[in-house]
Amino acid sequence: MWSGVSEGGDASSKAGVTRACALNLLVYTTPWDDHGRLEDLLERINEQHPGRTLVLVAYRDTATPRLEGYVSMRCRLLGGTGKQICGEQVTIEAGGPLLETAATAIAPLLVSDVPVYLWWKDIPHYEDKLFDRLAQMADRIVIDSAAFDHPYDDLLRLSKMIDDKSRRMRVSDLNWGRLTSWRTLLASFWDVPAYRPLLDEIDRVTIKYRSPQDAPEEIAPKALLLAGWLASRLGWEVVGTAVGKATRGTEEGAVCELRAGDRSIALAFVRDETAGPDDVIISTVTLSAKNGAANFSVAKRTDGSKLETEAQIGSERSVGRVLAYEIRTEAAQLSRELAFLSRDAIYEAAVARVAQLVETIRNQKTTP
Amino acid sequence: MENPLRQGIRLEQAAEPCTVVIFGASGDLTKRKLVPALYRLVQQRLLPAEFGIVGLARTEMSDDDFRVKMRESVAQFSEAKTVDDEVWQSFAQGLYYLTADIGTADDYRKLAGLLERIDRERGTGGNRLFYLSVAPRFYAAAVEQLGRAGLTKPKDGSWVRVIIEKPFGSDLESARLLNQQIHASLDESQIYRIDHYLGKETVQNLLAFRFANGIFEPLWNRHYIDHVQITNAEAVGVEGRGGYYETAGVVRDMIQNHVFQVLSLVAMEPPAHLGSEAVRDEKIKAMTAARNFTPERVKAECVRGQYGPGSIDGKPVPGYRQEEGVAPDSTTETFAMLTMYFDNWRWAGVPFYIRSGKHLPKRVTEIAIQFQTAPHQLFGADVMEQVTPNQLIIRIQPDEGITLRFAVKVPGQITHIRDVNMDFRYGTSFGVQLAEAYERLLLDCILGDSTLYARKDMTERGWEIVMPILDYWAGTKGEGSFPNYEAGTWGPQAADELMERNGSRWRRP
Ligand SMILES: NC(=O)c1ccc[n+]([C@@H]2O[C@H](COP(=O)([O-])OP(=O)(O)OC[C@H]3O[C@@H](n4cnc5c(N)ncnc54)[C@H](OP(=O)(O)O)[C@@H]3O)[C@@H](O)[C@H]2O)c1
Repeated sequence: MWSGVSEGGDASSKAGVTRACALNLLVYTTPWDDHGRLEDLLERINEQHPGRTLVLVAYRDTATPRLEGYVSMRCRLLGGTGKQICGEQVTIEAGGPLLETAATAIAPLLVSDVPVYLWWKDIPHYEDKLFDRLAQMADRIVIDSAAFDHPYDDLLRLSKMIDDKSRRMRVSDLNWGRLTSWRTLLASFWDVPAYRPLLDEIDRVTIKYRSPQDAPEEIAPKALLLAGWLASRLGWEVVGTAVGKATRGTEEGAVCELRAGDRSIALAFVRDETAGPDDVIISTVTLSAKNGAANFSVAKRTDGSKLETEAQIGSERSVGRVLAYEIRTEAAQLSRELAFLSRDAIYEAAVARVAQLVETIRNQKTTP
Repeated sequence: MENPLRQGIRLEQAAEPCTVVIFGASGDLTKRKLVPALYRLVQQRLLPAEFGIVGLARTEMSDDDFRVKMRESVAQFSEAKTVDDEVWQSFAQGLYYLTADIGTADDYRKLAGLLERIDRERGTGGNRLFYLSVAPRFYAAAVEQLGRAGLTKPKDGSWVRVIIEKPFGSDLESARLLNQQIHASLDESQIYRIDHYLGKETVQNLLAFRFANGIFEPLWNRHYIDHVQITNAEAVGVEGRGGYYETAGVVRDMIQNHVFQVLSLVAMEPPAHLGSEAVRDEKIKAMTAARNFTPERVKAECVRGQYGPGSIDGKPVPGYRQEEGVAPDSTTETFAMLTMYFDNWRWAGVPFYIRSGKHLPKRVTEIAIQFQTAPHQLFGADVMEQVTPNQLIIRIQPDEGITLRFAVKVPGQITHIRDVNMDFRYGTSFGVQLAEAYERLLLDCILGDSTLYARKDMTERGWEIVMPILDYWAGTKGEGSFPNYEAGTWGPQAADELMERNGSRWRRP
């Protein structure tokens, strides 16, 4: 295959082909995924992370045994030099009884000595043999908790999976990546030395979110992750019982009680269905201290194009600003995750708190 | 106090609240670079909301006039060419303008009052960055006046920093004097001298390449390296800045500062860590070991040149002496080649050839490390003829990357040996956007990182090394028969001849 590329055409035979390999990207997907879109995305990924791509299309709903593979190549001309940079892709379609053996077909196809990323474009179930096997081969697993169709169950399962030390699973969550701008803006309030002491006096957190389409009764994973992040970073313990409803005017939602030493913190999740584009899951986050004497908030405009922040301390000062917000493409999001290989301890701690929150909220629902 | 929420926020460092005061706010640099860079930093959320900008110049303007002007330039010099109304309004609230003259003490009292007001209104916390974007003759006066007005002394827990544009001095004496003058009011740790030839990524790439790889550092010395070539070529001429260039020349304009930065990164010992002081300590140590020039050495080991008419990219261009603002009998050099040695354990006897010039065939900056030839010729002389010794080329611009050149046998029955290149490019392998130089510089200064700025000792050492060359050339004006290279060629023949005498050849980049 490679000899063909390097000999074809005058320019390329002289300049040669550069074959670069920084990683193996193993993509698990289903037949009903948008494959045209996936190809475009992989092309963009390959520009930034050249390497071998293995796409496994799983036909789970069939009993007919199936195992087929195709090889293709991705080349890109380097601006002005006549040189090409190339990476290769292997697509494997597997179904029926052969689905589970697909992992053994993939193992020898991995380029040795460079990391393996598994992008699991589905909900991870580690009881699933195929997931388990592919996950064992991978150095890092990329998932997207925004796609969870039973958020509570799926998040609890994710937390267990990460917790299982014997698996040493390193997880990247695209949904967590999308929280970065929220985390940065919230964190930046406390970079101001004058506000820093107020961080230890926070008594209320309100997160407004849009509920997931598949599970309107449950809180969006993104909102839970943000709460889990705050609680884990700030050392807030989930007390275990939720106290009533977050009724304030027309708003309603769940409230959890958290604790830091003697201080009690009310964490309210408020549904906000003022629809925007799919990207706007969280619309406002407000942290209040001293019974509302100081408020720090970040809000996203309903059209998703701007973020607004405000720090209001008593009546003496209020500093706010409006920033342009650019929605990152899926390729950019994934590309970012592929740049990291080590464990993300901050994410793991957030997920552990999410599990506690979910259990608390569930208990509240079941007790009349 | 640590911010517990900052932990683990990838790649993003926190800047403290502050006010940036730009001296020369009606000027070119402010509108082309400084304000657009600050705007982008805010949009990228790298600066906090508690932030203000004060523009200062003699031109009469109101805050609103200044805001309107800056909005136009931000739109003009941004990629998108438009700015959102609401986003701009929010940014513009933090923009102020003060009509003031650098020489008038009273204006600094007004400035102090304004800064205090901004601290109150916007919570900027007393941190101040003064950016001197004015002609070099104002640097000392501005710092002195700031000092007299008590503006250079930080108040409890806050910081005051001053960025000084280039050029820094025009010879050793003026650089020393300027250092003395600014040191009267400022501590060295408060002074940030612009020297942004190398981007931060480039510096880090170079350090990473040298010190994160086990295989190159053991070879990085006189035992394996035959010589080093550093080329810094510009395709452009003086582009209307003839008047300024007449007072400078390539040694002052490029070599003394920029090329020496590159040189010191190649020659230095490994630093203990990547902190800015540790890196700068090693750089100055290397430059201290650079052998001083004597008139004899200048005569034998340096070459100067000036371009005559020629052509670039197929288009005819005038000679230097025909440029606007240039004397018809000018002896200013637009090209220079220097042979340098480092008298230390690592580099004893290894020549470093440096060349820099205007109107050379293309814009390129690269470092070529030429390794010694294999100790024993296993293959016949005829076979080896077409093979050059191993070369490692580190390209800095335009396409940052690394090429290793080595010999392989051409497949087939007959023994043919040929050079092949192994290429790596930063731009393509990691498609990251390299931050605009001024964004990086401003952010680094606000964060207190001076890696990219020149330290006092380095500015003076740079001048110290080149002074004998400048003096010798100034005293022997008649000897140079300028022009001696055609625009669009690789400089005067004497540069090639000097290499040949040493048994080497300039690489064609
Ligand atoms: N432009 C570039 O791309 C570039 C690149 C590298 C380095 N630099 C350096 O950056 C500095 C500024 O360059 P520039 O191109 O912006 O110069 P410029 O356009 O000539 O601007 C000079 C500024 O200084 C102000 N000024 C002059 N005398 C003053 C006084 N007595 N009091 C207060 N303000 C005074 C002028 O405003 P008023 O007349 O309104 O007072 C003007 O705003 C220079 O040191 C230059 O060497 C510039």
